[in-house]
Amino acid sequence: MATFEDTSVVITGLGAVSPYGNGIDPLWHGLLQNKNCIHRVTELEQLPMVKTKVAATVPETDFSFIPRRNRRSMSKMACYAYVAAQEALAQAGYKEAPENLGFFMGSTLNSISVWMNIVSSCNEGHLELVKTSDFLQIMNHSPLATTAQALGINGPSLGASDACATGLYNVALGYLAIKSGLVSQALCGGTEEYHPLFSACFDIMQAASFHANDCPEKASAPFDKNRSGLVVAEGCGLLFLESEQSARARGATILARILSVAANTETENMAYPSDVMIEKCMRRAVERANLSPHQIDLVNAHATGTIVGDIAESKAVEKMFGAAVKINSLKGHLGHTMGASGALELIACVKMLETGEIIPVKNLETVDERCGTAQYVTQAQQQPISVILKNSFAIGGNNCSLLMRRP
Amino acid sequence: MTREEIIQKTNEALSKEFELPVEQLRPEASFQTDLGLDSLDAVDMVVVLEQKFGMTLRQKYDLRSMVTLNDLYNFIEKLANEAQK
Repeated sequence: MATFEDTSVVITGLGAVSPYGNGIDPLWHGLLQNKNCIHRVTELEQLPMVKTKVAATVPETDFSFIPRRNRRSMSKMACYAYVAAQEALAQAGYKEAPENLGFFMGSTLNSISVWMNIVSSCNEGHLELVKTSDFLQIMNHSPLATTAQALGINGPSLGASDACATGLYNVALGYLAIKSGLVSQALCGGTEEYHPLFSACFDIMQAASFHANDCPEKASAPFDKNRSGLVVAEGCGLLFLESEQSARARGATILARILSVAANTETENMAYPSDVMIEKCMRRAVERANLSPHQIDLVNAHATGTIVGDIAESKAVEKMFGAAVKINSLKGHLGHTMGASGALELIACVKMLETGEIIPVKNLETVDERCGTAQYVTQAQQQPISVILKNSFAIGGNNCSLLMRRP
Repeated sequence: MTREEIIQKTNEALSKEFELPVEQLRPEASFQTDLGLDSLDAVDMVVVLEQKFGMTLRQKYDLRSMVTLNDLYNFIEKLANEAQK
């Protein structure tokens, strides 16, 4: 049996639901074409104390194609997961989930809208209106459990919940599960559904974008001097991981290779990330892969567009790489898809490796001088790249970095 | 309430909640084998029927005694008659 060190983990399938629509193609083409998917939100107009008025949501979809027996227990974020899982399985070459497929997926919160319905029924003295299926939709692992049921995913299933780092943390879990020999294949990522209260809560924390409410396309501007915060978004990203041995044995197309993962926790402050811990996290990932910083072609930053987060990450990148590495963020396009962001953005990184198309930071017009002198990608570039470092950081201080290479 | 009204209201509620074609809702249809409903559906069925008929069913509702739609019609009819007395 292969040892932990000997087991190479590769990516052979991708699945996405994003504000650009259902599927990898809308996601990738939306990014390539610099399309806008951020819009004003009617419910936020009715909350005068909330400054942010914008979000990026998945286009309305009729999910009635999911069998009712499964759908009855699925919130919107679970439906997203079902769609993304089917796509990732199909690209990996499966019509049905293979035996003992591991499943690692989480979210920041469960469905706020379903929770709100239950709480409203209770407050109005009508608890009798609450159904079993309502409860099944608000369990923290509901999207994981219902998608596994619907698609017959019968290996170990576990959902890490690390807020904005959830997606990448679950990919890291899948990677470790394969390296450890627990499974040889795993579906991994994160999912999230939008609710106006999400925006309101970030607004209360003074972390939501408000400077471009009248021009939503400009509202998410990582690293830009005029940024004012993040734009809440939703979606689901799932990646099919497997040991290289498994992929080669069945002749699967290898899309990318995961070289290492690293994670640590900021313990000084719940909401203020430090460049020190971020640098440690990235450095650990690079060292684990036995690489030097100069061998990294691109850092795909977490960079949400908040003042403090962008500064801390850019400082850490500058300290570790100097100005020698390209850095981009995809949240100018997608907004912050929360628990899905790490996985959705990692999927886009796979496409960047595959095509050599480097997506620029949308809305980065003038770099905030506090964000240092890193090599920000501000224009689309076509240039073969080999190694990408992907970052995800969360409120609560959960940092995660993943290093990935072309096959 | 007549039995016909009970049947019609029940079928409307079940058809909507469980996405079943009305023509499939025959009195002899078994919840499990013919309609594909399971124990979770049985619990939620009470919620929608209570709303539809505006009366409490759950205290007297015995899942094990309900095999076919006709059993359900009989149960609601009995409760409706008791409520009128």
